[in-house]
Amino acid sequence: MPFKPSVESGTDCLRQIRVLHAEGFRFAALFAAVFLALAVVLCAAVLWIVEDAQTAALVGANDADIETIENGFRDEGIDEAVEVVRQRLGSAAPGRRRPVDVHMLIQSKDGRILAGNMAAMPPRPGRFDMPGAVSGRGMELPNQAYVFVGRDTAQIAATRARIGAAFGWILAGAILLAGLGGALLRVQLMRRVDAITRTCEGIIAGRFNERIPVRRRGDELERLSIAINEMLNRISALLDNLRQVSSDVAHDLRTPLTRLRNRLEEARLGATTAADYAAAVSRAIDDTDQVLAIFSALLRISQIEAGTRATAFAPLSLTDLLDGIVEMYRPVAEDHRHVLTARIERNVRIVGDAELLVQMFSNLVENAIRHTPDDTRIRVALEASQNAAAVASVEDDGPGIPADEHDKVLRRFYRLSGSRSEAGHGLGLALVVAIANLHQATLLLKDGKPGLCVSATFYPGENG
Amino acid sequence: MSILLVEDDVELARSLSERFHEHGYLLDHVGDGDEALSAARNREYEVIVLDRMLPGLSGLDVVRTLRREGRTTPVIYLTTMGGIDDRVQGLEAGGDDYLVKPFAFVELLARVRVLARRSANAAPRLQVGSIELDLIHRTAVRSGRPIELLPQEFRLLEYLMRNAGRAVTRKMLLENVWDIHFDPHTSVVESHISRLRTRLNGGFEVDAIQTVRGVGYRLLAAN
Repeated sequence: MPFKPSVESGTDCLRQIRVLHAEGFRFAALFAAVFLALAVVLCAAVLWIVEDAQTAALVGANDADIETIENGFRDEGIDEAVEVVRQRLGSAAPGRRRPVDVHMLIQSKDGRILAGNMAAMPPRPGRFDMPGAVSGRGMELPNQAYVFVGRDTAQIAATRARIGAAFGWILAGAILLAGLGGALLRVQLMRRVDAITRTCEGIIAGRFNERIPVRRRGDELERLSIAINEMLNRISALLDNLRQVSSDVAHDLRTPLTRLRNRLEEARLGATTAADYAAAVSRAIDDTDQVLAIFSALLRISQIEAGTRATAFAPLSLTDLLDGIVEMYRPVAEDHRHVLTARIERNVRIVGDAELLVQMFSNLVENAIRHTPDDTRIRVALEASQNAAAVASVEDDGPGIPADEHDKVLRRFYRLSGSRSEAGHGLGLALVVAIANLHQATLLLKDGKPGLCVSATFYPGENG
Repeated sequence: MSILLVEDDVELARSLSERFHEHGYLLDHVGDGDEALSAARNREYEVIVLDRMLPGLSGLDVVRTLRREGRTTPVIYLTTMGGIDDRVQGLEAGGDDYLVKPFAFVELLARVRVLARRSANAAPRLQVGSIELDLIHRTAVRSGRPIELLPQEFRLLEYLMRNAGRAVTRKMLLENVWDIHFDPHTSVVESHISRLRTRLNGGFEVDAIQTVRGVGYRLLAAN
């Protein structure tokens, strides 16, 4: 089928790229969001840890003060307890800086303030918060005096605010960086995707030799680019092949068709009797058959190359298959004054398509029979090598093929110089190649010294 | 003999009708798959010649339907679908033979004749005139004298004997004896026929294998 760039797939391709464009944006946004979430979690964790530590320190300090007062009372009575409070508040020791954030109170049973920097209050034991951001602890002494020690919590709030503010700045910076990074990444990504797009558009426009520039980065986009380039190489090889084959077909059909036309023209001008006409018609039918043979050989090759035949693969005995070939062609070889011999190893089995393999080896044997002089010896051989591969070969001691033409004879329509006039359409070996490829067999042309040896090596397990 | 031709190419159908008439066969022609089914149900044909690509019901579907209904009328496909898998598909659907367009009329005629008289019974022995085949022991005898045959020669003789008195083409022999579905560029059939002739006719007056010019070969029923 000729290659026809489809407009629809072209717009599909472009739509894909626009989606990618949006994808770049989304990518940057996602990037920033993840950053943001991370920063928030971190901020919360830091706040919690700091606040916990500060609260613990505050509670610890209150407890220590209460304990000191209690010890004083236990050792030397209420006066000592009052003295401790006074000292802690610094009034008994002028010159020592009084801790501003400490609130203490010691009051008698009837609510009279004995010492402290607070107003009298109803006795309430245990830890509690007081209005004015003070967190403290109260305790009744054994003589029913009441002691309270508290500290300002404003410090904790201030710290929280400072940490919050710091994180706010960090967050703003992070978002900015994430956005910038995302945008940068996007620009880079887009530049490379654009390169791919431009190449695609070039191909659509018919510039089949354009390729995506590849730098050695080793990332996913580069792997994609390399894969696309390889795909394009394969496509253009196929296109070249197609062009070559089309022109070969045109050329090789021209010959028999021209001959056919000439014959018919001759008959129209020169034939007079019914016998003349009959002879011309039967020659014309022969020419037509040749054209049809070319078509069916080409069809068969293209079917095999399409690989759809692999479904017909089954285990088979290559020994039996080649025995059959030898039995089939031995009388033919004799009639052509050739000698067909065989050295076929027993019980060699492979997985393959029996019908195609028969055609493959028939073609090789027929080539040997048809293209060598009388008394040429032809040998069909099969042996299993150490690595379980099976090597089947068809060998003759005829004139052979020059080594520099070994590759060429495997191509479609190629005929050795001077053999153009012989019957045949130059597709036999191309068919052999196609069948060998389908079986992943290695086909080798060797100089048989003298003669030609064509061997096919089948490997086990690859088609099973 | 009555033949049903299912072919949507009117020109080809007309030409085939004429040629079958020339050979003394009655031929009914229908142009699509549905008509083919009803025609095949209404009358026992001896052979159905069936185009694979038909308007409506395809040739494959026609055969599948007929076989499901238990109708065993032999079917030969005529088709442009010469693909390797196409043939397998056609035979698996229940067809009996396969001929790729373009074809020579003699090829179709020979195949139709073989299909029409094909006997379903598988006897262990086969006898035509003076020639006898033991299908189990794979031995051949002519007028009591044993004939040495290679396996492929035996199969060739067996096919000729099963169709004794009828001409078979080179192509039919290649397909049925050697299971080869391509055109060899050498004289495979001719070489084997010549070997078989030598072995078969040694010491006998009558050449049992007749060459039918432009068609192929025929084993004489009275040999």
